[in-house]
Amino acid sequence: MARIELKGVAKRWGDVTAVEPTDLAIEDGEFVAILGPSGCGKSTTLFMLAGIYVPSDGQILFDGAEVNDVEARDRNVGIVFQSYALYPHMSVLDNIKFPLRFKKVGADEAERRARSAAQLVQVSELLDRRPTQLSGGQQQRVALARALVKEPKLLLLDEPLSNLDASLRLTMRSEIRGLQRKLGVTTILVTHDQVEATTMADRVICMSKGRIEQVGTAEDLYHRPGSLFVASFIGSPPINLLEGSASGRALRVGQAELALAGECGGAVVLGVRPEQITLGSGPLRGRVVDTEAHGRETFYHLDTPLGPLRALEAGAKARFAMGDALTFGLGHGLLFDPDTTRRIDGCVLESAVQ
Amino acid sequence: MTVALDVKAAPAADWAELARRARLRRRATTALLYGVLALGSLPILVPYLWLFTVSVSGRTGASTTVLWRTLAILMPALLAWSILRVSIVEPRRLLWTQLALAAVTLGALAVVTGPYLHAQNWRFLWNSNIADTLKGASGVGGAFPSVWTAFGNSLILALTQMTLVVIVSTLAGYYLSRFDFPGRAATLKGLLLLHAFPAMTLIIPIFLLMYWIGLLDTLTGVVLVIAALELPFAIFVMKGFFDAVPWDIEMSAMTDGASRRQAFYMVVLPQVKAGMLAVAVFAFLRGWEEYVFVRTLLFQKTNWTMSLYLFWMYEDVMGTDYAMVSAIGVFYVLPSIVLYVMCQKYLTQMSFGGIKG
Ligand SMILES: Nc1ncnc2c1ncn2[C@@H]1O[C@H](COP(=O)(O)OP(=O)(O)OP(=O)(O)O)[C@@H](O)[C@H]1O
Ligand SMILES: [Mg+2]
Repeated sequence: MARIELKGVAKRWGDVTAVEPTDLAIEDGEFVAILGPSGCGKSTTLFMLAGIYVPSDGQILFDGAEVNDVEARDRNVGIVFQSYALYPHMSVLDNIKFPLRFKKVGADEAERRARSAAQLVQVSELLDRRPTQLSGGQQQRVALARALVKEPKLLLLDEPLSNLDASLRLTMRSEIRGLQRKLGVTTILVTHDQVEATTMADRVICMSKGRIEQVGTAEDLYHRPGSLFVASFIGSPPINLLEGSASGRALRVGQAELALAGECGGAVVLGVRPEQITLGSGPLRGRVVDTEAHGRETFYHLDTPLGPLRALEAGAKARFAMGDALTFGLGHGLLFDPDTTRRIDGCVLESAVQ
Repeated sequence: MTVALDVKAAPAADWAELARRARLRRRATTALLYGVLALGSLPILVPYLWLFTVSVSGRTGASTTVLWRTLAILMPALLAWSILRVSIVEPRRLLWTQLALAAVTLGALAVVTGPYLHAQNWRFLWNSNIADTLKGASGVGGAFPSVWTAFGNSLILALTQMTLVVIVSTLAGYYLSRFDFPGRAATLKGLLLLHAFPAMTLIIPIFLLMYWIGLLDTLTGVVLVIAALELPFAIFVMKGFFDAVPWDIEMSAMTDGASRRQAFYMVVLPQVKAGMLAVAVFAFLRGWEEYVFVRTLLFQKTNWTMSLYLFWMYEDVMGTDYAMVSAIGVFYVLPSIVLYVMCQKYLTQMSFGGIKG
């Protein structure tokens, strides 16, 4: 178990900057998720922690000691690759035992530990098979057992669930979470699936273009996004972003005038989550362009004086049909500075619900 | 909006009739295929058959009686076999009819060619100075070496050359596949260019080079020359196999505690076994068949390889005992065939790339 710290860590390949200088601390036993779109430097960050890549800049600390020059094999990090990276020529048991070959572990002890790791992830019946004879979910469990068998200080999971079907993914999510709680190992999960990140991790690190945009709990990221990127990346259906201009306590968006709680001025971007739009009552008027039934909830496309809006309402049955005119109100709304893309503190939309 | 499909409009298909026609067509195609393949392979097989029949039946001259008799039996047998293959569907019955056909064919062969067969032509195997015992012998002057000396030399040449090629091409292929270094692209282009270069044009410079470094008339010299000529392509092949091995299993091994070298031996190398085997087989055959460079670079009789032994035997006894030359030819080609048969299973997997699915 270890406390992990990054101080100004960066990775460049020639002109390509994969990771900008980054500061980050992960507590002992914590489960964090790195969330971000493809190519934002998630895997690179992970590989630097594992010792596969050497950072171009900065320091990586394990329990306060710099490990930049410590080789991968000496870091005692368990890693599950996105492709699982099982050794094709070895049986499942030999795959799980592999890390123990390099430790001073007797043959009997290695056998015992490998079998108990296999038990932990429920692959005990598959020990004699080759990796190619396993399903994706089974391969993933084997990879997890192999990462856990050496009792690592740090467990790194690179998009481990991306190859699984939806229901298996759900099961594995809670299994991994349960295992991590049980073992108390510091864990970093890389994913571009926001639901995975927010449901599994204690804290979510949101990355974009090699930079950390925001670190926080799932709640923080959803309700108090620090930037336009986080606001639009988190949440499905995505947040409504509308350009407007503010002066004092008044905000003009499209043809609509809205009131602000707090003062600001100049060009702003208003962000409203789809479920913050209450349909059927309120000071604003609009028209339904389209509806989508999503089982438990219904999704509306609205044409309004503010511009096109997406709204979400609980309930399987659509209360409004295509073409209906309706009134609506806006609940929680956030303001962003379009130049810096950061959220404007101390200035939010005054709730316009009746 | 619904599109009504009028099912009744389509005429009722006669499924049984369609299936019968499809089966017939399939069988006809198969029969035709067998026929064409059998006919096409005839010109390739006949010379081998000639060599073999003469080696076991010829008496000083090459009599083709046995060849024609063998063909007279084999051709109808082959025809009968292809007809069997397409006309009998049930596996057990097919097996039994095939066995019966084989037995009949072998029996007929024994009866028709049996009286002609003898092992006299193979006496070079136990008679060490064979050329001197033949009439009008010894154009090369002095005694002929034993065929086993030549066999041993060929084996040493082929095996050492093979070992050298496999080791160097594996290491170089790995390096080219995994590491970037100044001049990597140029090296890859150079390898292909070297392979395209006809080796014959190098004979004189190589001869001089061997003379200067004192390796003329040694097996070592020939091994080095052939290995050098064989390497560019072997390296290219191995690089391809390494390219197909994903990086992440290597990275995974290293985070599991292996050094780069251990990761290479324990995890990467097992994935390219098929490639190494292919390179080894081709390198061995190249060394085993080598004629041009052994002819120019080796002079002493004790250094003769099988190809030289065959050549001198032909030079010396041609016209006298041409059946024995055939026997030596068969003896010479036998190891290659054995090797092919043993490795065939792995070699055919090669086309699927470095890693088996
Ligand atoms: N070896 C390399 N050489 C040059 N550029 C690289 C190298 N590896 C990664 N990059 C670049 O660094 C950036 C970050 O890559 P990284 O693999 O960390 O992305 P990621 O966030 O893991 O994406 P994904 O979700 O698709 O896996 C990408 O733009 C990529 O092109
Ligand atoms: Mg990645």
